[in-house]
Amino acid sequence: MSDSSPETTQARRLASEARDRVRFEEEALALTDQVYRVARHLAGSREEAEDLMQEAYARAFRSWRSFQPGTNLRAWLLRILTNLNIDRGRRQQRTPDMQPLEAGDYFLVDRLEESGGPITDEERVDQRLSQDSIVHALSAVPHDFRDVVVLVDIGDFSYADAAQILDIPVGTVMSRLHRGRRILKGQLAEEAVGVDG
Amino acid sequence: MTADCEKCEELLQPYLDRELQEFERLEAERHLSLCSYCSRRYRFESDLRRFVRQATTEPMTVELRQRLAALRIAL
Repeated sequence: MSDSSPETTQARRLASEARDRVRFEEEALALTDQVYRVARHLAGSREEAEDLMQEAYARAFRSWRSFQPGTNLRAWLLRILTNLNIDRGRRQQRTPDMQPLEAGDYFLVDRLEESGGPITDEERVDQRLSQDSIVHALSAVPHDFRDVVVLVDIGDFSYADAAQILDIPVGTVMSRLHRGRRILKGQLAEEAVGVDG
Repeated sequence: MTADCEKCEELLQPYLDRELQEFERLEAERHLSLCSYCSRRYRFESDLRRFVRQATTEPMTVELRQRLAALRIAL
């Protein structure tokens, strides 16, 4: 029997594809901690994040052939996950109408200093703000803004990667990031000293 | 707070994101070297970003890790 018989060629192709798939699955599973870190705060709760992770990984494993080897797998997985989350968000929660946001970037630190005196060089942020207040304030930022803040500030994605994951222009990433961070600081100020930005 | 401080406040986020043009970065740094009010605020923002990353770290449960691994397609 010749090595190039149709049966052998087919068997080789299947074996090669199986190896590629296993490699893909292993690489994707090696990124679960990093993907979850972002997913946890794209979603509103731990339970939602866990559901999203399972839906996203199930979809990724089914459509592994559409991943282009050599490109950013973490970004590819998060693109699947954010799409699922956006579909879900549109079903469950409308982004509330935004109030005009007049406060600038010094708003939070100004409020903290007004209520507790100047922040000294030695003082750390965690002496004025609690870990819980950060998590709570972040969850109160509307989806469109939070997605960008979470991808860039927690997921450490570049503006360009965040734009690709969310399928929006880089300029939109920048403006949502700017506004999202200000909303976050307004929420933190409200939680820390009871004033709204 | 002076007009220079207001300008410096506008440059805060792009400065920390390293997105400023050279002349803007130098403008911000010149003001920061003279103004303790603004330099405290820049330091706070930089610390806040680190704290946000740290505060939002929540490890995945072992159960979820196992459920994800079980989603692999059987050979």
